[in-house]
Amino acid sequence: MKSRLDMNKIARGLGAVRRGSVSASSGYFGARQLLAEIQTRFRVPAGGGRATDPGWTERRLVPLAPRTLKRLEAITRGVKARRGLNVEPMQLAALLLEKTTEQLNEDEVADLVGPVQA
Amino acid sequence: MAKRRRKAARKQSLLKGGRKSVLIVLFVPSVERDGTTPIDQARWVDAALEMFGRVFGGATAYPKAQGIWRDDERDGILVKDEPIVVHCYTTPADIEDSGKLAELGRFCRMMGRDGRQGEVGLVIGDEYFGIREFTEE
Repeated sequence: MKSRLDMNKIARGLGAVRRGSVSASSGYFGARQLLAEIQTRFRVPAGGGRATDPGWTERRLVPLAPRTLKRLEAITRGVKARRGLNVEPMQLAALLLEKTTEQLNEDEVADLVGPVQA
Repeated sequence: MAKRRRKAARKQSLLKGGRKSVLIVLFVPSVERDGTTPIDQARWVDAALEMFGRVFGGATAYPKAQGIWRDDERDGILVKDEPIVVHCYTTPADIEDSGKLAELGRFCRMMGRDGRQGEVGLVIGDEYFGIREFTEE
């Protein structure tokens, strides 16, 4: 779910002027954001093991197409080689799923589910 | 009834606080408003990271980018620079906290004033904010 921030309050608090909305959810900038998320959120559990987001407490089996898994594996290999960040393919999948879900606003969700059937 | 209210209040507080779902992007410039005089960018990046770490819990600075800014108060002259972009993830509650906002605003004004900028730019969530008034309150 998208948080609804009080942008006027933020502008007043900063002593700034609102100059307009931006969109930064894909391409180079979006990829950078994903890397920043991994760096910021992933923590090694107290009992040891692979670094993960402590907020990810639910586990489900997710069916995937082989090409999707291959793509996820290729991306995470690249992230490890170029950035030194250890992220598993399904951790990246969880992050992408989370971002996409959060970016859907209420109108888009309403469009998705369609009108109420009589 | 009271139980339902408590549950609703908890849900509300989880939505407002908890998760670091708000991205703050700060642009640290490389030159003054004249487009030629360099500023001590490394010092400002360090100071920004220190401020974000202390106030919001962490941040990441990226390598230099290529930037351009149109200075409308000087006949639309184009100022080219190599900004460093700093990302900080925070919670909705923290970004609306007046004390934290004041600290972030104070930092931007200080950087704008000392770095002789025309504007200090911030993106918070999906909104761009410009700070042009750098006098200390």
